[in-house]
Amino acid sequence: MKRILLACSAGMSTSLLVTKMEQHVASINEEAKIWAVGQDQAKKEMANADVVLIGPQMSFLKGELQKEADKYGIKVDVIDMMAYGLADGKKAYEQALKLMGDK
Amino acid sequence: MFEALSKYMVPIAGKLNNNRYLSVLRDAFMLSFPLTIFGSIFVVLTNLPFLSKIMSEGAIKTFQSSFGIASSATMGIMSVFVVFGIGYYLSKSYDVEAVFGGAIALVSFLLLTPFVYQPEKGAAIAGVIPLDRLGAKGMFLGMITAFLATEIYRRVVQKNITIKMPPGVPPAVAKSFAALIPALITLTVFLLINVFVTQVFNTNLHDVIYKAIQAPLTGLGSGIIPTLIAIFFIQILWFFGLHGQIIINSVMDPIWNTLMIENLNAYTAGQPVPHIISKPFMEIYTVGMGGTGMTLAVVLTMLFFMKSKQMKQVGRLAIGPGIFNVNEPVIFGLPIVMNPVIIVPWILSPMVVTLVSYFAMSSGLVPPPTGVSVPWTVPIFINGMMATNSLAGGILQLVNIAIVFAIWFPFLKVLDRVNVKKEKDESEAAA
Repeated sequence: MKRILLACSAGMSTSLLVTKMEQHVASINEEAKIWAVGQDQAKKEMANADVVLIGPQMSFLKGELQKEADKYGIKVDVIDMMAYGLADGKKAYEQALKLMGDK
Repeated sequence: MFEALSKYMVPIAGKLNNNRYLSVLRDAFMLSFPLTIFGSIFVVLTNLPFLSKIMSEGAIKTFQSSFGIASSATMGIMSVFVVFGIGYYLSKSYDVEAVFGGAIALVSFLLLTPFVYQPEKGAAIAGVIPLDRLGAKGMFLGMITAFLATEIYRRVVQKNITIKMPPGVPPAVAKSFAALIPALITLTVFLLINVFVTQVFNTNLHDVIYKAIQAPLTGLGSGIIPTLIAIFFIQILWFFGLHGQIIINSVMDPIWNTLMIENLNAYTAGQPVPHIISKPFMEIYTVGMGGTGMTLAVVLTMLFFMKSKQMKQVGRLAIGPGIFNVNEPVIFGLPIVMNPVIIVPWILSPMVVTLVSYFAMSSGLVPPPTGVSVPWTVPIFINGMMATNSLAGGILQLVNIAIVFAIWFPFLKVLDRVNVKKEKDESEAAA
């Protein structure tokens, strides 16, 4: 099962995207664990994730989080701005898959 | 041009956000957040405007004094939690035993605190700590002391000047022995500082720091011009897609929170509220109207007055979170970020609205926020009434929303026309 971690300032605005991504995943009959946390928890939670997506407003955290993520051999990226704004679950999910190398 | 500027902004924002001391300070204030909410609930309940209609004056007094401890034990001594939090989180960031760091910071702060109360008239009373020294008045000394004490503590620990227990000793015992020498050294430093200040200069560091640092800084922070500058930078950062509050508030929160507690102390004592600008003002009268940039008006405009599909879709998506003051869908969906048409209303309207709120309060038309802490996710109008304990506080927000609407409307109309044309071209191209 794919495990996708989303992070933003408090885990609030990304939780909207989580719902949309889950709906999309269900609609294409795949399985994934998707959850959102605030920036302080991101480092701890990424041990349980296959990929980390961060809200565009936290783009300045990417470098720091990637350093931590390297320990687990996973990738961190900023969610596409429009996909984030329009809560486009499909686009965000596909971005996550691409980062995981579709494993 | 915006992309080029953004290249400079992102690393600066990252540095500020990741600065060890600023992020420790942010976490330390977060620690006191649930406690201040607890205290605030009872201040609101015991000061409900209609109480005088259903209770006698004596009954209200009894009601207020019996529940007053809820705010005294939390917001009234907020410095205690902030000091402990700084000691804890700073130690944690250095990977040294955090709970001892917190305890040592707290005791260092108490070592500098006079255990004596000097009433205006009469003899000093020994054996008591004036409450405000642990609250608003001691805030800055507390923060400075906590950072210094923890820095000394962790340096001693990291130099490995500790007593080591042989294996087999229970870990909890070994840990308290490991903290012994660092604690003794740190606390002795602060004890000697206090002896020096009290005996040589015949004063105490509370009064010195309050007069030299805290009063000037909070005085500056409660002014309208510095507030407008802070809002300007928050808006600019968001324009580049960066979380403005996380970055600016980590610098301003100590000041805004101190002003908040000073307000609350006056309010619960039945005196006029001294400051207009404070933490609740910033939360309820800037963020609390649909999110940063007061975008509830923008969302409603898109829903009801705009014709393009794109704007209607963003409006529909943004209205739900917008009611609870979460507005990322507008910021990234409209989008506001890097949108040259939007920069003018985006920066102008919060500044205009803040000026209006400020003058509405300074003229006495609307009471300033009382200092109770209202979570920023409480919807507009309700949060305004709760923060000011008056209907006028909610009405002011509605006036503000109308102002935001008036400033934004022409700009949104331009964007809408462009979008409609684009959508028409696209559908023609597809046909």
